Amino acid sequence: MLQLARTTGRFALNAAIIGLVVAMLLPVFYMIAMSFRTATEIAQQPLALPTSFAWSNYANALEAMNYLRSVLNSVGITVSVTVIVALLGSIAAFPLARNTGRYSRLFIMLVALGLATPNFVTITPIYVIFRDLGLLDTYIGIILAFTALNLPLAVFFYVGFIAAIPKELLEAAKLDNCKDWQVFWYVIRPLLGPATATLSLFVMLMVWNDFTYPLLLLTDKDKFTVTISVYRFVGNQNVQPDMLFPAAVLGSLPLLVMFIIFQRRIVAGLTAGAVK
Amino acid sequence: MVSRSSAVMFTLPALIVLSVFFVYPILLTFQMSFTNFTGVGVSENIGLKNYERIIGRSRYPEALWVTVKFTVFVVTVQTLAGLIMAALLHRLPAIRNFSRAALFTPAMMSFVVVGYVWQFIYSPFSGGLNSMLNMLGLDWLARGWLGDPSTALYAIAVAHVWMFTGYTTAIFLAGYANIPRDIDEAARLDNVSSFQRFRYLEIPLLAPVFTINIILSTIGTLKTFELPFIMTRGGPDGATRTLSLEIIEQLFGNYRFGFASALSVVMLVIVVAVAVIQNWYLRRKEEL
Amino acid sequence: MKQRSALAAASSILAVTATMAFGQSVTLDVTAWKGNEAEPAGLAELIEKFESEHPDIDVELSYIGRLDTDTIIPPRLQGGNPPDVMMTDMPLVEVWGNAGLLENLGTDSEWYGRIPESLQAALTLNGNAFIMPLEVIGMGNFANMDLLAQAGVDEMPTTLDELKSACGALADEGINPMIFTGGFQAPLFLIANGLETTTNAAVSLGSGDAKFAEDAAFNQGIDLIRDLIDARCFDPSLQAGLDPWSTALTEFQGGNFAMMPQGAWNIAAFKQIDGLNFAFGPIPTSQPSGVALDLFGIGWSIASGSKNKDAARTYVDWFAQPENLQVMLDAESAYSPFDDGASGTPAEAAPYDAARSAGGIINYPFALLQWPKPLEGEIWDSLTGFLLDPSKPSEDVLTRWDEAVEDAF
Repeated sequence: MLQLARTTGRFALNAAIIGLVVAMLLPVFYMIAMSFRTATEIAQQPLALPTSFAWSNYANALEAMNYLRSVLNSVGITVSVTVIVALLGSIAAFPLARNTGRYSRLFIMLVALGLATPNFVTITPIYVIFRDLGLLDTYIGIILAFTALNLPLAVFFYVGFIAAIPKELLEAAKLDNCKDWQVFWYVIRPLLGPATATLSLFVMLMVWNDFTYPLLLLTDKDKFTVTISVYRFVGNQNVQPDMLFPAAVLGSLPLLVMFIIFQRRIVAGLTAGAVK
Repeated sequence: MVSRSSAVMFTLPALIVLSVFFVYPILLTFQMSFTNFTGVGVSENIGLKNYERIIGRSRYPEALWVTVKFTVFVVTVQTLAGLIMAALLHRLPAIRNFSRAALFTPAMMSFVVVGYVWQFIYSPFSGGLNSMLNMLGLDWLARGWLGDPSTALYAIAVAHVWMFTGYTTAIFLAGYANIPRDIDEAARLDNVSSFQRFRYLEIPLLAPVFTINIILSTIGTLKTFELPFIMTRGGPDGATRTLSLEIIEQLFGNYRFGFASALSVVMLVIVVAVAVIQNWYLRRKEEL
Repeated sequence: MKQRSALAAASSILAVTATMAFGQSVTLDVTAWKGNEAEPAGLAELIEKFESEHPDIDVELSYIGRLDTDTIIPPRLQGGNPPDVMMTDMPLVEVWGNAGLLENLGTDSEWYGRIPESLQAALTLNGNAFIMPLEVIGMGNFANMDLLAQAGVDEMPTTLDELKSACGALADEGINPMIFTGGFQAPLFLIANGLETTTNAAVSLGSGDAKFAEDAAFNQGIDLIRDLIDARCFDPSLQAGLDPWSTALTEFQGGNFAMMPQGAWNIAAFKQIDGLNFAFGPIPTSQPSGVALDLFGIGWSIASGSKNKDAARTYVDWFAQPENLQVMLDAESAYSPFDDGASGTPAEAAPYDAARSAGGIINYPFALLQWPKPLEGEIWDSLTGFLLDPSKPSEDVLTRWDEAVEDAF
């Protein structure tokens, strides 16, 4: 009897929590459902499900957002930033993780400051510097800006990771008379795969979601990232549901699809870094 | 041990990037904060006038107060909600993975998308929230959520919490995974109730995870401007104007680069101070 | 290698001569905050006409909202990638022109001589003509005539007393009388009423020589807003929930409110709505005609960094020709900025036209740089705050205006 009560209680609790979790997802369902309805339908019956599919909503959004182009831009920028950040971050992290001199400590402090500083503080001068260097509205400019933004995180990440590599491994290499760069390239680099994968997740999230830099640095429609093309398309003043929701769905689609496929690895990657 | 010369060589590229795009801009921010630079043309040195204005006008301390309220609300609610969800999911392995992923989903959406969607949810006319309240017979609760200064900031904060609670939950769950199994099992065998285990065993063991969660969400929230920028542009009458949003508005709306720099300096000081104090305090608590 | 570069040189020479012979085909990069679906302003039609008359010039128009213009254009102007021609207004001209980013169109331009002298002075910055004006547009009061009729009101109210009695009649019928947000409508009302009766010049209020807080007319203007509340014209606490640029418009179009102060540029869109019988009149004030709050809105400017200045000039000058400009005036329901007295206002705007001819014109002080731009946002904010708590002392509101003026310099 007690056993039965316990099982039902447990079942009810499970069901209640699932209910809560699904309720948390309501805004996502709402966004998708509304994206297929016309503005008049929404005005008349705000909460109804779509009865027919207003694909024209999407046709408009796809074209006006320059969608494919902006997805490609986001992907291209993400990949470039990840490669550069991983390279610069890992080679810098190698001596920082191994040496404990004053230079290393100062450098790590600089990196920590970089982590804590909102990119806001530097936004004004970055704008002026980029203008003077002719980097406004260029791919190189936006890639450099994101690189600088993500570099402290990368260094931090790799320092932790390299510090955990057993000393013996490196000392063996040293005994074989390897130069420092050889130790890095042949011993350490091959071990960095998992760290780089996680790092790329962070970079990806930031590039896809950051709003400040593209807003400031990109003006050419053909160079827009997905986020900024959503912003420009929906516009700040005219919130029209038949434009807003399709754009919102399209704007989150690439990451959501990726998340559904790789959710376990993505969640693990994004949290593991925090707890270690 | 890496030789000194290769240490310098290896760190040089990162050092250059950080110097040009981080250290130098910060120095420039300081320098510009003493001028009336408008972004174009020449600027004049005006001493401490920008800072005097920040202190002298109620508008800027109010923006700081808005930022503080927003941060405290978000960090508290998000940490508590994340902790409770994690504690429950830790006890419910059958639905753990699904729930973790589902809760995490909003974090995959951008501020812009979340801002627009929630703006419409809150819309007084044909918005989702009011329509739902009307349907449930709770008409008296319906209101212009973003138009009422007493609710606007919290309405935005709820959207922010919605976005990141899954992240907090996942980090807590990762912390749970690190709790040694035998401790948990020993307590179970001693017939310690579920709540007591949570209160006297899990919470102390999760202390470092609290630190991480609180620091991450504080830094992330203090500097936020995206949701207010999208959802209210700081209105009504400044009720949602955070310090960062003020910087953006001064920069673009009014072309006051010098003044925006002074605000940035204030912001930097606050963020660094909060991070240092929090880190110190939470670490000390961990050791107790 | 050598051969190749010789070939390249030869072909480029060929290309140059070819373009000299046949006329170079250039693409003009034009930006504007008109020309989208909501405010077409006849631009599509005009550009097509322009291109057919100038087959060598291709115009590529990109729409950029007015608020976004502040963020998007400056990086392009400074980053060496400027649009050739930009829609501008005086606040933009002041910042960009003073920074040398705009081309001086010259006070010797044909069209410059046709601008009435009073406007001429306001549009000229240190002797430079940075902007070719396109239109002067009315800001006044929209009324849904069917709703007014339901309440037994047949004429558009143009005085405060008429307005108040109309509000009462409408409220008795259960009709929402007015949209009156702090973000646009209340400011229009207060600015019109304040400037009409003040003894101070608009310029001296905008430069800090005279204080709003000490100005009897503006203090009284805030009392007038309180009177409207007492007359049941609107529920002040609901106004902050309306966005003056989007929800307010759809609410008025949907027939949920009887009146709404707004700009004449909405007339074209309102005319498309079936069953919306509306009129556009002046802002009700104490004088019988009411006030026609004229906005010198928009014009074309050429970037000093443009690489197609000749074509840009052709384009800008072309718009100054009355028969071309008329298309835009019609689409916008606007008045010509030139001395030919042309206008494009339809029958619906007859009450506004009448107020203008009765001499009730006041220029919107921000459009002519009489008041500094940051003050505009402060007015919007402070009146939003005021409507949320109308018991607030008027002086608190106006002191914020004075502070904004002070901070602007």
